[in-house]
Amino acid sequence: MAPRIQNQIVSNSLLPYLSSSSTSSSFTSLSSRPRRSCRSFSSTVAPQTRLRNQMFLWLRQEAAELKHHTPGETNYLTSKAEAARGYVGDPRPFPQNIHYCSESILSEELRTEIYNRVVKQKKSVRAVSVELKVDMRRVAAVVRLVELEKRMKEQGKLLALPYARAIHEMVPTTPLRHYDPSTHEEINDLPVHRLTNPQIFYPVSESRQFNRVDAGRVFSAAPALEHEQAAKDAVDPSETISRITQNPSHIEVVGKGEDEHQVLQPADVRIPHPHMVASRREQALVPQERAQQIKIYQARLQKEEEADQERKRRSEERKEKQTQRVQPEDSRFEFRINDVVVSQETTGKDGRNARAPGRRYGVPSYDRKKGQVKIPTRVEV
Amino acid sequence: MVVRIRLSRFGNKHQPFYNIVVAQARSARDSKPLEVIGTFNPIPQRPTNLSEEQARTAKAYKEISLDRSRAKYWLGVGAQPSGSVWRLLGLAGLVQESKNVQN
Repeated sequence: MAPRIQNQIVSNSLLPYLSSSSTSSSFTSLSSRPRRSCRSFSSTVAPQTRLRNQMFLWLRQEAAELKHHTPGETNYLTSKAEAARGYVGDPRPFPQNIHYCSESILSEELRTEIYNRVVKQKKSVRAVSVELKVDMRRVAAVVRLVELEKRMKEQGKLLALPYARAIHEMVPTTPLRHYDPSTHEEINDLPVHRLTNPQIFYPVSESRQFNRVDAGRVFSAAPALEHEQAAKDAVDPSETISRITQNPSHIEVVGKGEDEHQVLQPADVRIPHPHMVASRREQALVPQERAQQIKIYQARLQKEEEADQERKRRSEERKEKQTQRVQPEDSRFEFRINDVVVSQETTGKDGRNARAPGRRYGVPSYDRKKGQVKIPTRVEV
Repeated sequence: MVVRIRLSRFGNKHQPFYNIVVAQARSARDSKPLEVIGTFNPIPQRPTNLSEEQARTAKAYKEISLDRSRAKYWLGVGAQPSGSVWRLLGLAGLVQESKNVQN
């Protein structure tokens, strides 16, 4: 089968004015043609306006370079102008809009490498994300999409290869480098939490330490941590963080009824890769050799992953325990019977609590009302 | 008056969803019941997150959620299940499954 992405010079058929045959001939013939033929809809007497003249001049001279592009390199207006000034690789395609940057996409090799590492080498998504510096969600998406592509090939379905080729030629791509991989995107980004939106004036005595943990407790309206507990946590922060990330169900809960929520944890805990902070901290405290560092890092990652797997297994087991599966002989379907609890605690005093089973009475459903957006705007991974 | 365990229809057009309710027999289908003891989703769901071989053989499933202890209590005090609820309770093993269920 032909490769998905080709590497050869391609002429740009998207710009009709620049297509090779018409460039010179059309301009020369413009002046010789009768006026009405070239601009039949215009009521201007002049055959060409000044602006049109300028445009054609620009197309012939400066924009002539844009006619051909090298696959794998962007063919942006800005990059041409910047290259003249000695600055190469500007990701901004629009000279008038400096705030717009075209983000690079995964190159074909990087995409294949991600798939190989996750599926063939059986590495975890977390480890691959750190190794290749690609977001965990993107790693997962790559694996799913490559699987989908393989299945489509097996079924003999057509793939949109020309489209993929065109896109890979037009936009910047992140190449695969085995040693010192280039950063595709920030992997440890943290979205702003809803609880941190309000500005809170919180007086603290000067004699007391006030750190991120305390700030999280203030934001979630939880009482301050006891001094003994705070001192205990401060002894080994890495251990404290891994304890929380490995047992997220043990996080303290505050609030009552509908407002019940977990205490907001510090950013060190909530970031996608808390183990990176821990290993960095360890490095700073006890400088070790590189081989030793890698070993410690791998061990930490392994421990994290094992705890993660164990947690998933337990939650599935619990779910399975609550579900009874019945397969009647004469039915095409399986019936899954889940246990629920109807009590004062779940239904609430007025019977409208969301934790009770069933659709609610006396609670309006707005899903047929005008202006309700039903298209999902985000994907929870 | 008789107390019945029956289904009350929620959901939209072509998207039925039922609450399993305990209600007075002569009350309207969707009126506020004595108690909601579970739900039944009659639209078959495709199981997800399976390997390809598993996905080929897997049966679609219908979800029932039920509070067994409340169902037992209401049956114990003489509530009469409707035909469709009898079938569901039969699947859960709370009543005897029989082929000729009344209405």
